[in-house]
Amino acid sequence: MLQMNGKSPEDWIRLISTDGYSYLVQRKVAVMSGTLRNMLNNDFAEAASNTCPINERGIIVEKLCEYLQYKHTYENALPRQDGPDFTERIPPEIALELLVAADYYDSK
Amino acid sequence: MRRPNNVRGPASALTEFLKESGITHTTIARRARTRQVAQPEPVAGPSRQQAGDNEAGDGDVAENAENQEREYNSDNLDESDNEPKTKKRKLTKAAEAKLKAQAKAKAKKNKKKGDDEDYSDSEDEEEDAYTALSKMWKDQTKPPNGSLIECAKCGTEFSVTQYTRQAPDGPGWLCHPCLKASGVDPFKKPAAPRKRKPLTEKRNVTNFEKRRLPSLASTCIKVISQHIDDVEALGDIGSMNVDQIAKAIAKDRSLTAENATLFYDVQNTNLTLYDATNLMPPALCTLASLNPNLTSLRLDFCGRMNNAVLAAWNTSLPSLKRIELLGPFLVRAPAWQSFFASHPKLTGFLINQSPRFDLQCMESLVEHCTDLTELRLKEVGQLDEDFLPHIKKLAGQLTHLDLSAPGEPEALSCDALTDLVAAVGAGLRHLDLSGHVLLDDGFLFQGIKPHARCLEALVLSHTPELTDAGVAEFFDTWSAAAHPPNPPLVLLDMNRNHELAGKALEALLRHSGNALETLNINGWKAAPEDMLNILGKKARRLRRVDLGWCREVTDWTIKALVERCKSLEEVKVWGCQRITANCPRKRGVAVLGIETQNFV
Repeated sequence: MLQMNGKSPEDWIRLISTDGYSYLVQRKVAVMSGTLRNMLNNDFAEAASNTCPINERGIIVEKLCEYLQYKHTYENALPRQDGPDFTERIPPEIALELLVAADYYDSK
Repeated sequence: MRRPNNVRGPASALTEFLKESGITHTTIARRARTRQVAQPEPVAGPSRQQAGDNEAGDGDVAENAENQEREYNSDNLDESDNEPKTKKRKLTKAAEAKLKAQAKAKAKKNKKKGDDEDYSDSEDEEEDAYTALSKMWKDQTKPPNGSLIECAKCGTEFSVTQYTRQAPDGPGWLCHPCLKASGVDPFKKPAAPRKRKPLTEKRNVTNFEKRRLPSLASTCIKVISQHIDDVEALGDIGSMNVDQIAKAIAKDRSLTAENATLFYDVQNTNLTLYDATNLMPPALCTLASLNPNLTSLRLDFCGRMNNAVLAAWNTSLPSLKRIELLGPFLVRAPAWQSFFASHPKLTGFLINQSPRFDLQCMESLVEHCTDLTELRLKEVGQLDEDFLPHIKKLAGQLTHLDLSAPGEPEALSCDALTDLVAAVGAGLRHLDLSGHVLLDDGFLFQGIKPHARCLEALVLSHTPELTDAGVAEFFDTWSAAAHPPNPPLVLLDMNRNHELAGKALEALLRHSGNALETLNINGWKAAPEDMLNILGKKARRLRRVDLGWCREVTDWTIKALVERCKSLEEVKVWGCQRITANCPRKRGVAVLGIETQNFV
């Protein structure tokens, strides 16, 4: 899946927030989000430029990247080894905004 | 399985005790063997061999019994024990080797188990040394098959077979005829010994199992729930799209009594909760008391709602004007009636799925809520023709009427519905009579055509009596029927009417094409390709189209839609198998259901 069309999972993908911050994540991390996976695996402009504009504030995009990295790291971990709880990393101030973003980007 | 070094794991007290007393599995097995063999000797029938070859020893006894069996063959009515043995002998060499290997493996496994788990599991397997022990325990006194004993009842001598059973009252064994006479079925298999449950593996070794991490959304909801009382921490909810948050929280049944307070506010006039499954009656009462100024309330999946909730709402929601409930099936008729009595200003009453909403409720609704303009009684079990006179009283004011999917599809006749539309049709903007299977072309001609004046949305799905020619003629002649004519439709949904095809589609595009925003012709399987391809040309304002199971839809149909309809949002093409993966796409347009897409 990741290797499609000669795209390497190690490629860097740029996520740009509405207020102009950009975040670089590896493709294998970005595709943890179903929405980003669809963007990157189809013939959209995002796939060609490896750049995805995200319609959220920088702090939300940052937290989203953090979660995707967390998911990528711990999803394949041994069942017994519990990863750290991500709840602690979400400041309540952005929880609502992040929820809306998560609803859109974290779909399977 | 003696280990080369002397390192041993921890052993139980029993193991230690047995070891100290010198009891090992070999001694137990030997004891069992001698005991079994020793027993038949006194009862074994007389034979030449017994006199002559007595010194041959224990090993001969089995042979002895076999010989006897051959001798007394005529007495032995049942299958002898021997047969399986001879069969076994006929096995091919390969099979034999296989059997041996299996037995070996089994024995090995058992021994290992015995070592590790204090001999607890040993009786399950036959090849194990310890089966001797269990054999010793069961049927201790029964002589081996083939030996001659006296029947406990009639005293005749008979040979023991595997079907010989013990006398029910007292010691001894019964011969075959006596056994039958006593009412015992000798051929009945003894109840299979209760198999010990295989010990569950203590360690889970499924290393390849994918971990299910909590999704970011559910984690967020957790955080929100934790801080629900802390207004400062969550920030100002007013600046955000409350509806979007409500939708996000509704997913995965996450809306609970705790986090629902997020949406409550004294000043709220509108409230929509998309999944209220987890809101119990007390929570629904709280909802009303924390939002006393609501004028419009919509609750989806409010299945827990009951009479008590509605009774509380009677007083706590005084200004309610529009209520939309999905699934209030627990609410009984008296509660509905008192609700209507206490909310005379109600203008919108929209419910789905209520088996208890009856004629008295309908009567009470019309009697009390005289300003009603929106009425939805969708999937109402008791809907019948007696409801209609009451609905007719709302003539002139009713703009939205939905009586779709009645509990009994044939509850309302075509004539009754025609009469209804004749009475209330003049003011209707939205009409939904889906699922009334008796509805036919006559309803269109005599009901809608002369009486509808400002109809914008028409939903007649699953009305199989409608014909292609009839619908076509209706749309062709509709505009000439009245003056001023009914404006073109904005929404048309005639899905699952399999008879409809090209003519109906052509006529409806001619009539309403310029205004149509939502079109659902799902299931018009015979609609021809050329008609479908002009959809995009004729209906430029389309936003949502469902072309599911229209078999002739091709990539070109979609191309025309995507290119011509500027405000297109969604096209559903489930079951359109001529569409390929190369189907045209555009940003902002969701084309759902392309089946070949899965294989890309």
